[in-house]
Amino acid sequence: MATPQAAQTIRPQQDAEPLLDCSKLVRRFGSRTAVDGVSLDVAPGETYGLLGPNGAGKTTTIKIVCGLLEADSGTVRVAGLPVRAAPGPAKRLIGYVPQEVALYPDLTVRENLLFFGRLYRLPRRRLERRVEEVLELIDLTARGEDRVDSLSGGMRRRLNIGAGLVHSPTLLVLDEPTVGVDPQSRHAIMESVRRFGDQGMAVIYTTHYMEEAERLCDRVGIIDHGSLIAEGTPRELVALVAEKDQVQLVASGDLTRYAEACRALPEVEGADVDRSDEGTVHAVVRDARSLLPRLLDLAHANRVQIRSVEIVEPDLEAVFLHLTGTALRE
Amino acid sequence: MRILAVTRATVVRIARDRGALFFMVLLPVAIIVVIGVTVRGFDQFRVGVVAAADAGPVTRDLVTTLTDDPALRTHVYPDQSTARTALRRSETDAVVVVPATLDRQAAGPGTVTLPILVAPSATNAQAAVAAVESAVADHAGRVQAARFTVAETGGAFDSRLGLAARTAAATPSVSVTQRTVNGQSSYLPLGYSYSTPTMLVLFVFINAVSNGASIVQNRQSGVYSRALAAPVGAGTLVLGETLAYLSLALVQSALIVSVGALAFGVSWGAPAAALALVGVWALVGTGAGLLAGALFRTPEQVHSIGPAVGITLGMLGGCMWPLAIVPAWLRAAGHVVPQSWAVDSWTELLSRHGGLHAVLGYLVILTAYAAGLLLLATLALRRRLASVG
Repeated sequence: MATPQAAQTIRPQQDAEPLLDCSKLVRRFGSRTAVDGVSLDVAPGETYGLLGPNGAGKTTTIKIVCGLLEADSGTVRVAGLPVRAAPGPAKRLIGYVPQEVALYPDLTVRENLLFFGRLYRLPRRRLERRVEEVLELIDLTARGEDRVDSLSGGMRRRLNIGAGLVHSPTLLVLDEPTVGVDPQSRHAIMESVRRFGDQGMAVIYTTHYMEEAERLCDRVGIIDHGSLIAEGTPRELVALVAEKDQVQLVASGDLTRYAEACRALPEVEGADVDRSDEGTVHAVVRDARSLLPRLLDLAHANRVQIRSVEIVEPDLEAVFLHLTGTALRE
Repeated sequence: MRILAVTRATVVRIARDRGALFFMVLLPVAIIVVIGVTVRGFDQFRVGVVAAADAGPVTRDLVTTLTDDPALRTHVYPDQSTARTALRRSETDAVVVVPATLDRQAAGPGTVTLPILVAPSATNAQAAVAAVESAVADHAGRVQAARFTVAETGGAFDSRLGLAARTAAATPSVSVTQRTVNGQSSYLPLGYSYSTPTMLVLFVFINAVSNGASIVQNRQSGVYSRALAAPVGAGTLVLGETLAYLSLALVQSALIVSVGALAFGVSWGAPAAALALVGVWALVGTGAGLLAGALFRTPEQVHSIGPAVGITLGMLGGCMWPLAIVPAWLRAAGHVVPQSWAVDSWTELLSRHGGLHAVLGYLVILTAYAAGLLLLATLALRRRLASVG
């Protein structure tokens, strides 16, 4: 997507009134509870990631937020406006980007943007001006007169996001916008989402890719079986699994003695030798980066030659595993 | 504005669909031509004529009289044997064998006999003979006038025959017209006047049903779901689509009416009644199209099943052949479908020359069909849209 023009960076206004306020949302489909008491809020300028595996309740939550589904109980307010009681004014503030490419394939890029703009009753001149801005933002100005079915998959994804921006929403809701996208387009989409947050837009972003949530989101809510089981900044969530890193040292020499020496260090909670492949010492340590020079000194002192070092820090995947006992992509 | 945005998007999309345009424009006109050419001429008798090539003016005048008669479709055979073969093969209803001596006999005082051959099994032979007798009597009148003139004033028979012909042409004729009071013609006029209104009924319906694929596609692609995230209700989407389908049905109707009137000379009867019939039938098609869009699951289903349903209903409803020729039970069954009422109303308008008052009952019935279909479609579509969230 296009580089922003003199984008003003606005960081989350944590103390401000939340732009989106969801309280105790419950939605059942027959006997199955898809959303079970989800509460979350998003501040202006904040990018909030809703992370969870397929079927966790992310899309159902998003559809309740956008007024596409009614909650059995609970409330959603956008800028203080209740979505259920006053859907019109609240919906005007929301830009919804669905998971699928929800566009008319046989209309042109420009016609699609004009169509979605007209649904928000934008005055003609403002709409035309805004369409040009969005085309520039999603880097499709040159393809404005092309039919959507002639665009590449990545371009369609960008247009899919653009169609949610035509009416200049203050809350952008993106439901897994990078599913099935090539790495280049994925990177472009993530960069543009980051810019939307920088420009003051509140963004709620669902994904089951933990690396996206870590890269993009100011705060992340982890959802599983319809319940929000943890919420916080990525760093706060990682802290939930304690600050233990893994260090893998591929080396040669007397690795048994080296592992014993490592275990003697107070920061090392465990160290073992794995001889199945090359000689490797696995160590579980606190704050691997600061401890690494001492581990290397210890190897030199024990005449062990280090060939490679890998540090594995805990991530949201580990957090999810820690909280649910299952991997995120299962 | 939001309703019109939906309408505009649908109309533009369908107008860009070459397949839809084929069904909307080319196919109806092609079928009108085919059926119009096939189902025509049943109000004429096929009459063969055998006459000597070097015959005199009396024979030539008789052949011309037979050829020009609007009730006869005349074919001149080179000899009697060929004509008899044609008669045996039912290629002609009757054959007039003009004697080689006709000119000589006509100028003389005696009676002239003109043999007419018919097949014993021909059902309309007598009617054909009557039509030939009428044309021959017309010719005989001129011959008698020439004879009378020769007898009274002298001169050559041939020149007097010419004088009689010119006089007859210049003299206002006494015509006898037949008018059926309280006639119950169950047929549309044959030719293009038959094919054009019935194809209007058939194709406006089929095309509207086929266009239902566009609604199914919107449901599948998530466009409706996304539109409902805007400050737009399901009613706005349904109304927008209704206007789009109605516009397309009216445009197609206008096209068929125009092609029928301008290219094929079809008379559409009383304008107000014709306009009302076109309008209400467009509404029936709109309801059917929306219902198809709400009920079918995939565009492929619409494209494969929709036209088949439309053609079946068209056959039942008398779009392919007059219901008057089918058994009574089938005729009754046919009147379950709206097509039969539409064809009946056009028959009332075009064959019985009825006006708006005469088709009022049909309009009420068709409006009820349209209202029922639109109601069902709206309920089904709103239900679908409620579940797209």
